[in-house]
Amino acid sequence: MSETILEIKKLTKYYGKVKGVENLSLSLNKGEIFGFIGPNGAGKSTTIRSIMNLINKDSGSVWFDGRELTRDDVEAKSRIGYLPSEVFLYDDLTVKGIFDHHESFYRNYSRAAGIHEKRQTLVERLKLDESRKIEDLSLGNLKKVGIVLALMHEPELIIMDEPTSGLDPIMQNVFYELLKEEREKGNTVFYSTHILSEVSKICDRVGIIRNGELIRAGQVDEISDKQLTFVTVTADDVDALTAALGVKALSQEENTVRFANNMPDDELIKKLANFRIRKILIEEATLEEMFMHYYEEGREDDKT
Amino acid sequence: MIKRELRVNLRGFIIWTGTMLVLLFLIYLVYPSIVSDGKGNKVNEMLEAFPPELLKAFNMDIAGLDSAFGWLKSEGFVFLYLIIGIYSCLLGSNILLKEESEKTIEYLAALPITRRKVAADKIIVSMIYILSMIVVLGVFNMIALNISETPDNAQLLLLSVTPVFPAIVLFALGLFISTFTHKTKKMLGISIGMVFAAYILGVISEMGEKVEGFKYLSVFTLADSRRVITKSELNPICVVISVVLLAVFIALSLVRYQKKELV
Repeated sequence: MSETILEIKKLTKYYGKVKGVENLSLSLNKGEIFGFIGPNGAGKSTTIRSIMNLINKDSGSVWFDGRELTRDDVEAKSRIGYLPSEVFLYDDLTVKGIFDHHESFYRNYSRAAGIHEKRQTLVERLKLDESRKIEDLSLGNLKKVGIVLALMHEPELIIMDEPTSGLDPIMQNVFYELLKEEREKGNTVFYSTHILSEVSKICDRVGIIRNGELIRAGQVDEISDKQLTFVTVTADDVDALTAALGVKALSQEENTVRFANNMPDDELIKKLANFRIRKILIEEATLEEMFMHYYEEGREDDKT
Repeated sequence: MIKRELRVNLRGFIIWTGTMLVLLFLIYLVYPSIVSDGKGNKVNEMLEAFPPELLKAFNMDIAGLDSAFGWLKSEGFVFLYLIIGIYSCLLGSNILLKEESEKTIEYLAALPITRRKVAADKIIVSMIYILSMIVVLGVFNMIALNISETPDNAQLLLLSVTPVFPAIVLFALGLFISTFTHKTKKMLGISIGMVFAAYILGVISEMGEKVEGFKYLSVFTLADSRRVITKSELNPICVVISVVLLAVFIALSLVRYQKKELV
């Protein structure tokens, strides 16, 4: 059985009357990359900021390696790396200055004994110039500095919020390689993003958050393989067909209708046998389609 | 942490202290010519026409303007209290808040360091700079006055200490109020307004028995330079009150900061 490194228990946070997250429970296993997906405003950053104790939880708790993560648990903090969605650092320093400053906080932690060597490796692989001033860096370079800061002290848990924004495609690939290497070492990555292709590319498990609530969590393959299919049918009476199946048309053009289907193929075909079908196409949903489907479904629920 | 804070706040310290030194230097340079050839006595005679309450508010009833030291004891120290007070209050209101306002707090909060340690280090650095400013200005006054005249050095030394009391209280007050907001811009107006309000209340409180109570609302009362000038001693009650207020507001700030939402 896989060992849990991070556990969020029934986390709730409201900003006044506005919901940030509600009753969110989630656990991450050691040595996995966990994708946390949802559109802007879904509650991803609220979840992350609650883990990092930057904001106060209304209720619920966060557990790291078997103990509750409090804001002054310095030992636990030394084992966590954090990359915020927007990187803000001290403008008066150079890249070297901020890395030296960062190193000075980890001198007493044996886990971070190789911090300087790792910093040099990361700087080389991400092609950073340490002599440049922070205030002169482009968004992409600033992000790269943030990545080095999140990884250099060899954290067991790496929390990243929209980590690839600003990185060019070449650097994105270098970054994915770095994360895979972290996973191989047994470190865990909490990867928050709204870019679905990234999740299919590097994540082992995924959690989907919508309107502050976790609506699905599981292996990436498992979620993609769930029963959801997209069916395109050309028939004589498509209205009667959709009514009989109890599905909603995603698109309809003359006698052709496309709808999302949760029934097993066997059951679907049996029901379709009652109609005169001219053409049928059953497609397995990709992760992206699954995600969009859950969101569309959510929006409909919200309307009703 | 302390080393970095010292470096970050050095520029502000140099600008504020440097500006004050230049102003004092210019005053000491031109003052002898203002009061030379008996003109100082004429200034004192002119002042006699002013209402006694106004003279009292600026210590002019107990210190004449016929020498640079006399000017320092009256108008000079009022000016020093005000400027050191503004610097201290701004330092207090910015020192923690800057990290939130410039959004570097997300980086800082992820480091293996407690919030209490962050706040404590910043408070220590602020105290170093406030006290350094008072020491630098005191030493400058001492040297400048001893070059041009023969002041009462024991009294001058005690007077040079008096800005400490309103300054540390204003610092702690600024620090405490800053824990209620996230933006340094908001605090700029509040800090300056607070210092000027305290200053005006202090002046008004000297203008009659009916408004004497205002002095309890002004932190500048804690300097009590009148006592130093008339009795050559610090007011022990003011010293104790200053230290107590400093401790109370710092303790409250630490409690508030510990629970504060930082983003």
